[in-house]
Amino acid sequence: VGMLEFVLSCFRFASTTASLKTETEVDTRENDVVASDFTNRNPRNLEQLALARKERGWKTTWPKREFWHRLRLERTQHYVEAFVERCNGDVVVSASTREWAIKRHLYSPKGVTACKNLGRVMAQRCLEAGINFVNFKAVIPWERRCDSIQEFEKAMKEGGVVLQEPRRIYL
Amino acid sequence: MAAPLLSAALRGARAFGTAAALCRWAAPLGPMPNEQIDVGNLEALEKYRSFTRYFRQAEKEGRKARWWKTYRQYASPEPEPKTDIGLPHGKLLKERKERKKILKQNHQNAEMERAARLRTVLIPLDEVRAEWEKTSGPFHRQRLAEYYGIFRDLFQKGTFTPWVSLRVEYSQEDEHLVPVYYGNMVTPTEASSPPEVSYEADKGSLWTLLLTNPDGHLRETDAEYLHWLVTNIPGNDLKAGKEICHYLPPFPAMGTGYHRFVFLLFKQERPIDFSEDVRPTPCHSLKMRTFSTFDFYRKHEDSMTPAGLAFFQCQWDSSVTWVFHQLLNMREPVFEFVRPPVYHPPQVKFPRHQPLRYLDRYRDTKEPTYGIY
Repeated sequence: VGMLEFVLSCFRFASTTASLKTETEVDTRENDVVASDFTNRNPRNLEQLALARKERGWKTTWPKREFWHRLRLERTQHYVEAFVERCNGDVVVSASTREWAIKRHLYSPKGVTACKNLGRVMAQRCLEAGINFVNFKAVIPWERRCDSIQEFEKAMKEGGVVLQEPRRIYL
Repeated sequence: MAAPLLSAALRGARAFGTAAALCRWAAPLGPMPNEQIDVGNLEALEKYRSFTRYFRQAEKEGRKARWWKTYRQYASPEPEPKTDIGLPHGKLLKERKERKKILKQNHQNAEMERAARLRTVLIPLDEVRAEWEKTSGPFHRQRLAEYYGIFRDLFQKGTFTPWVSLRVEYSQEDEHLVPVYYGNMVTPTEASSPPEVSYEADKGSLWTLLLTNPDGHLRETDAEYLHWLVTNIPGNDLKAGKEICHYLPPFPAMGTGYHRFVFLLFKQERPIDFSEDVRPTPCHSLKMRTFSTFDFYRKHEDSMTPAGLAFFQCQWDSSVTWVFHQLLNMREPVFEFVRPPVYHPPQVKFPRHQPLRYLDRYRDTKEPTYGIY
């Protein structure tokens, strides 16, 4: 649910101000009237306040959908791609060795070095987009020990992205 | 007990229990998944032989569009096709040959091969970012802006690809720069003075810069607050442009969470007269600052196209109190989050298969039926 309903709880009173011009007083007199209900249309607001719902079903299948943002690493035969997506499948931030910007600096677009550098680029892009917490559980357990995925994880952590989402606040 | 027997009798196939009493088997309305696999000849089929291969195939199949509607398609309406209101951009196909040449040189480079083998390569992130801004940056920014709901709130049915890369940086007292990318976290203390804006511009072109807050309006939900409007900017010079509305630092109220602040850069074809939108120089009245980007754009649609986009997120800070008390001269509102009440269907006199706490859901007071003993 993207809409946030807020209720006006109190007013914080102003300290004594210096004498203002009468023109600005007339202008700002109407500022005081504030609606008691406030709706914030920002779709990311609820999840950043840890109040949004996570999809709690899907417990008999793997991977589960209990996240706000999920980091998915796809290693194909020729390229390595990383996506940050929401539970409904919309891709938010993506980085891949298919992009010319990354491909030109790499010797091979697959392998451990590619994963490591992709992790650094992905961490930078995630922080620029305002995504600080990501869920990284959609990795197959026996593949998690691979050098490439471990280097990718290390690069993301060093880049500043936390690979664990905070627990939801039940209010 | 009659239900499974009934369904088995009707279908004559493998029986399973159902809660529905009268169900008549009917053919499915479209092709079922895995219908094409010939189960008769199992040895001739190609097996997966590994979990990874199966998982990748399963993920791909899960993302395909099916003829049956999913819950999401019923719950949220289909998005309407949006019109592109941005600048046109021509593709350059000559780059392919040059790129192939560079890749071939990379492959023949022995140092690069050794560094890749020993895993010591570290890509220069600044160069990658500069190249990304030119190639796939605009598309990524558009996708993020779509995700943040900026097009839905500012331009109702229009989208644009921000071809012009807009660099906005707030400078602090200790010469530290706080950049604004697409969705950054910036505090109101850091954003208290106007930022330094830079972008690539030709000499004779005219631009308009706009800073809005689509979330912060204290009276109406659909209105925005105008924080800064500079028009008829020749080239890169912001100071040479006409400042129609002076800079007001962001003031997200306490308890309301994170507000989006959007920088929009419009490219003008000719000098436009904005005399209807001129605000008085110290404009601290929220009524004068109430703004709608959709109406503003509609008015000057013919001579202006959106070209650049940058947005950041802002939360309450102690400097917001100062802005409310000193600049806006009003009491500071404090909000509290209230979740919308849980839906319960209308109360029935003889509820079926409900526990005793069914009555608690419709009671006005908060006395529960459990925990008494």
